[in-house]
Amino acid sequence: MRNRFLRTEGFRLSALYAGVFALSFVILAGFVLVATNQALRDQILAYSATDIAAIRDGYAHEGVHEAREVINQLMAAPASSGFYLLQQDGRPVAGNLPAMTPQTGTADIAFTTGNHTHRVLGTGALLAPGLYVFSGGDTRRLRTVQRHILNVMLVLFAAALLLAVVSGALVSRSFLRRTDAMAKACRDIMQGNFSMRIPVRGADDELDRLAEAINDMLARIAALMENLAQVSNDIAHDLRTPVTHLRHRLERALADSKSLDDHRGALEAAIAKADEILGLFSALLRIAQIEGGARRAAFASIDLAALLAQMRELFEPVADEAGHVLELTAPGPAVIRGDRQLLAQLFSNLIENAIVHTPRGTHIRLSLSQGDGRVVARVSDDGPGVPRDEHEKLFRRLYRREASRTQPGHGLGLSLAAAIAELHGAGISVAADGKPGLAVEISFPMPADSPQAA
Amino acid sequence: MKILLIEDDSETAAHIVYALEGAGHEVTVCSDGQEGLTAARAGGFAALIVDRMLPGLDGLSLVRQLRAEENRIPALFLTTMSGLDDRVEGLQAGGDDYLVKPFAFPELLARVHAIARRAVPQDSEPVRLRAADLEIDLIRRTVNRGGKPIELQAQEFRLLEYLMRNMGRVVTRAMLLENVWDLHFDPRTNIVETHMSRLRGKVDRGHGSELIHTVRGAGYTLRAE
Repeated sequence: MRNRFLRTEGFRLSALYAGVFALSFVILAGFVLVATNQALRDQILAYSATDIAAIRDGYAHEGVHEAREVINQLMAAPASSGFYLLQQDGRPVAGNLPAMTPQTGTADIAFTTGNHTHRVLGTGALLAPGLYVFSGGDTRRLRTVQRHILNVMLVLFAAALLLAVVSGALVSRSFLRRTDAMAKACRDIMQGNFSMRIPVRGADDELDRLAEAINDMLARIAALMENLAQVSNDIAHDLRTPVTHLRHRLERALADSKSLDDHRGALEAAIAKADEILGLFSALLRIAQIEGGARRAAFASIDLAALLAQMRELFEPVADEAGHVLELTAPGPAVIRGDRQLLAQLFSNLIENAIVHTPRGTHIRLSLSQGDGRVVARVSDDGPGVPRDEHEKLFRRLYRREASRTQPGHGLGLSLAAAIAELHGAGISVAADGKPGLAVEISFPMPADSPQAA
Repeated sequence: MKILLIEDDSETAAHIVYALEGAGHEVTVCSDGQEGLTAARAGGFAALIVDRMLPGLDGLSLVRQLRAEENRIPALFLTTMSGLDDRVEGLQAGGDDYLVKPFAFPELLARVHAIARRAVPQDSEPVRLRAADLEIDLIRRTVNRGGKPIELQAQEFRLLEYLMRNMGRVVTRAMLLENVWDLHFDPRTNIVETHMSRLRGKVDRGHGSELIHTVRGAGYTLRAE
């Protein structure tokens, strides 16, 4: 648990942040120390330069005696922290420093009195040949100031680091709590609870957006799975029925057939039934293949007006024989991109549905209209129609209306039509204004390079 | 006639052999593509029936290879029903026709007869086709029987033309849908039957002998007795 906590993204981010903060703190502290060191040294050197100038002035007016006086006065001044030396021919004549090798300019010297080691920074100068003067200040103060600064900074640093770690821990804990909830929801869903959804906090932050995306995906998967389960059920059921009928027929033929003709008739009926079952299979395979989308490669320019005219010509005798009137209204060419074979099958299915499911005397109309970058083909009839609550279901695989169960067909015609429409980027729907009767509309996108699209 | 069948599934092969031999043909079976290619190269066959999926060498490559060698033996592809684009691929590879499994025997026989006929070289494209007292003019697109003109719609003319070109042979519903209307699926309604009935009404009704005959369980045939 501890380990997992340290491995959260929130903790990693806080640790990174704390690290960057620490580095910048070290740089800042270094800069401050160097700067204060320099400023204090400059101050000491400025004082000693002033002192040297005063001593030099005294010597210039009244000789070594006056230089000694000036030094004594400087040492006697209240709160004096300076160190002085006046040395003639190597022998100290004034000041509080022992004799040393004369150095001119800035000098850093160390000397011991009793058990104290002093480090003194100051300036040395020659007043006259053999007469050397030095004035400086103890650098202990410098180190004290630096230590103070360092201490304050360390305290601040520790406090900031603590704050970073604590806030990092809090952030990762809340992050962890939410991701844990997500992971748990996912595991529940995996175990079969498909109604489960990832909790959304409502803050519209990145985790909420992620959760919403996952929830949308889950809803889509659930719908697909439901559809799949429904289809497998239907297939099993719809196949069992004709196979059962086939079996009954063969059974009856075995029991009742007296003559060779009886046997022949029974066998022919059995073959027809088997063909029906095979037809159902090939229709299912065809839908699956079209939904796979591989056929789009074979698309060419198709004039829907010409295709519908061929369809009318093809089905007119069948419609006429069934007592229907098949009409076509197409104002002019309407070119789309598509697969002629599949489009022919789409319109055949719609026209055949209209012929098979409507009574004699029904008018079936094929029409085309264009506008808004779409070509809309419409197959409508003035038959009894389909109740509105069944419109959606019509395109479902293997869906057969109760009223049409006794008629031939496998309930795949419209779902095949829907699959073909989808392959063409077309919407297929039952038009709301198809009263009386049923009107199915397929709305194709106009090709981008079409002059009609402009 | 002698037919070469290249099919690796022994049960399917046995069925096809049964059907073809029943119709009086002589069948040689190869179960491997490479073996089939060798047999086809050796010659002596009137037609080739070849499965798309074969061990050794697939059906498409086999026919492509034969065509590359200028071997024009009529070839019928067999395929499982999954492939929508198979037909186009098969024809592009040099196949003459294409049949989806499972198929009915009469369908197979009709198609084998049709492709074997096509291979017989003709001096030139005929201008007129004749059957007894029925004559159609392919250039002027006119029909007359016993000297009297018959008015046909465009699709009725195409239907009659296809029957005449396959005179004496059985043509199936699927062959008519493919060749007359360019439709490669099975419609639910009896399109072919109604068109045929109209055509017969115009061509045969009122004449002494019928030329268009229904072949039960198979299709139609145009025959001059």
